[in-house]
Amino acid sequence: MIKLENVHKIYSTEVTALRDATFEIAKGEFVFLVGPSGSGKSTLLRLMNRQERPERGAVLVAGRNINDMPDAKVPYLRRNLGNIFQDYKLLANKTVFENIAFALEVIGRPRHVIRQQVPAVLDLVGLGGKQERFPHQLSGGEQQRVSIARAFVNRPLILLADEPTGNLDPATGEGIMRLLDRINKTGTTVVMATHDQRIVNMMRKRVIQLDRGTIVRDQARGVYE
Amino acid sequence: MISRLRYTFREMWASLSRNLTLTFAAVITSTVSLFLFGMTLLIQEGFDNQLSEWTGGVEMIVYVKHGATPDQITYLEGALLSQTSVVQSAEYCDEACSADLATTLLAGDPGALEQLLPGIPSLFKVTPIDQGSGAVLRSLKAEFESLPNVVDVKTPDEAVETLSQLKSFFGVRTLVMSVVLLLASALLIWNTIRTAMFARRREIEVMKLVGATNWFIRLPFMLEGLLQGIAGATLGSAFLLFVNNDWTKGVRGFPDNSGLAGFVVTDSYPVWVCFAMIVLGALVGAVGSATAASRFLDV
Ligand SMILES: Nc1ncnc2c1ncn2[C@@H]1O[C@H](COP(=O)(O)OP(=O)(O)OP(=O)(O)O)[C@@H](O)[C@H]1O
Ligand SMILES: [Mg+2]
Repeated sequence: MIKLENVHKIYSTEVTALRDATFEIAKGEFVFLVGPSGSGKSTLLRLMNRQERPERGAVLVAGRNINDMPDAKVPYLRRNLGNIFQDYKLLANKTVFENIAFALEVIGRPRHVIRQQVPAVLDLVGLGGKQERFPHQLSGGEQQRVSIARAFVNRPLILLADEPTGNLDPATGEGIMRLLDRINKTGTTVVMATHDQRIVNMMRKRVIQLDRGTIVRDQARGVYE
Repeated sequence: MISRLRYTFREMWASLSRNLTLTFAAVITSTVSLFLFGMTLLIQEGFDNQLSEWTGGVEMIVYVKHGATPDQITYLEGALLSQTSVVQSAEYCDEACSADLATTLLAGDPGALEQLLPGIPSLFKVTPIDQGSGAVLRSLKAEFESLPNVVDVKTPDEAVETLSQLKSFFGVRTLVMSVVLLLASALLIWNTIRTAMFARRREIEVMKLVGATNWFIRLPFMLEGLLQGIAGATLGSAFLLFVNNDWTKGVRGFPDNSGLAGFVVTDSYPVWVCFAMIVLGALVGAVGSATAASRFLDV
């Protein structure tokens, strides 16, 4: 599903964010990216949805090298990827329903599809009765659920999550992890960058560890260390 | 498709109303610049009308008695052209043609026109061989006046020379001014769109992440700029038509010998100018907003 071959990412002459990164993620896998701050986790995720391009090496998503994909094709790539962030990136002036509907609307989904899919995905993330609320009327965990619903409503092949539990207390974070696990069980590949030792140890999934841009460990059913 | 249209117009409207001050400034600037542009065209047309007898190097007009026979006219043409060292051509303008000319020249003085038309003379437009022989041509004035059936011979007076000079003076300067102002309005529209996009950067970020195409994101902003340009042009056009109308009325009230009875534009020309203004306004809006929308939307 995702394959990196000798990827180098250099932001400036002083900062080499990734050095010779090579790994492959199969369809339906759940992978943690761990490592200290600044080790290149977010950079890896941003390479996978073409927010960044590497200086060297290939990034293949669903068999295609996305680095030489023309700009005009990138939106269609992204429709197969869901993104989740530590800060949720919800639109404050839109309700829960509108936030998710917006994501469908801007890729041209017709209204009847939106009316049917948004409530369904809200049920899935456990926010059934809260679709008319605004983000500020929700707890952090609930806001993250909205953002997961938005990322998942299109049934993407891959979810890219950058520290989705970073702002949440342990119990709420665990709830989010159970949700991501459930989504993963539907066949969606999940790649998640995290600092959260407890969560990594709890889930026992594959762990790719980075240190200053180099992959230092790639372990199936790993722990944080 | 329908949902896409609905989205585009809703977002455009939201952005317009959120950004009222800037939108207002951009529209007013387009109004003023396009008004000035239209005004330039109208003033030029006014000069052209006023000077319509003298276009194409004509330096003398020989009026021929109303009702002159073809033979008499042929004879006169021969007499004029016999001055081969001075006269290059003598273009005949029959009574219908002469009436058209008078209609243009006296557009601001309908009373005088009405008096003139029944006995209107036909005329010859005489062009000298070169500008230098104009003075020689004028020295032949008395001789031409004495030819049979000639009722009058007219040469351009100082007023005509002054008007010609004024025409080129205004033409260049007002055109430059309106181009500068048009640039300013394109810049203002550009800035309005940039500000609108900056205000909505969170939305744009989300849109890009969920896979909206750049065109989809851009379109409402481009329409917004287009609309600003067209709104400015429409206001400017309305203003221009109003001013033109006012001027025409004013000229009709001038004294009969003001010599400005032709300095009006009364036909469909102002409507074409307004049409040009609206096209230009749309162009300025589209260019301003398209540049802004592309510039701030890297993948
Ligand atoms: N846009 C950028 N321009 C320049 N340098 C950058 C940019 N983004 C990241 N970097 C640098 O690249 C390196 C890797 O950053 P990255 O954000 O991938 O780390 P991270 O592992 O996600 O860190 P954290 O755990 O703090 O989120 C860091 O040294 C960072 O300063
Ligand atoms: Mg990071």
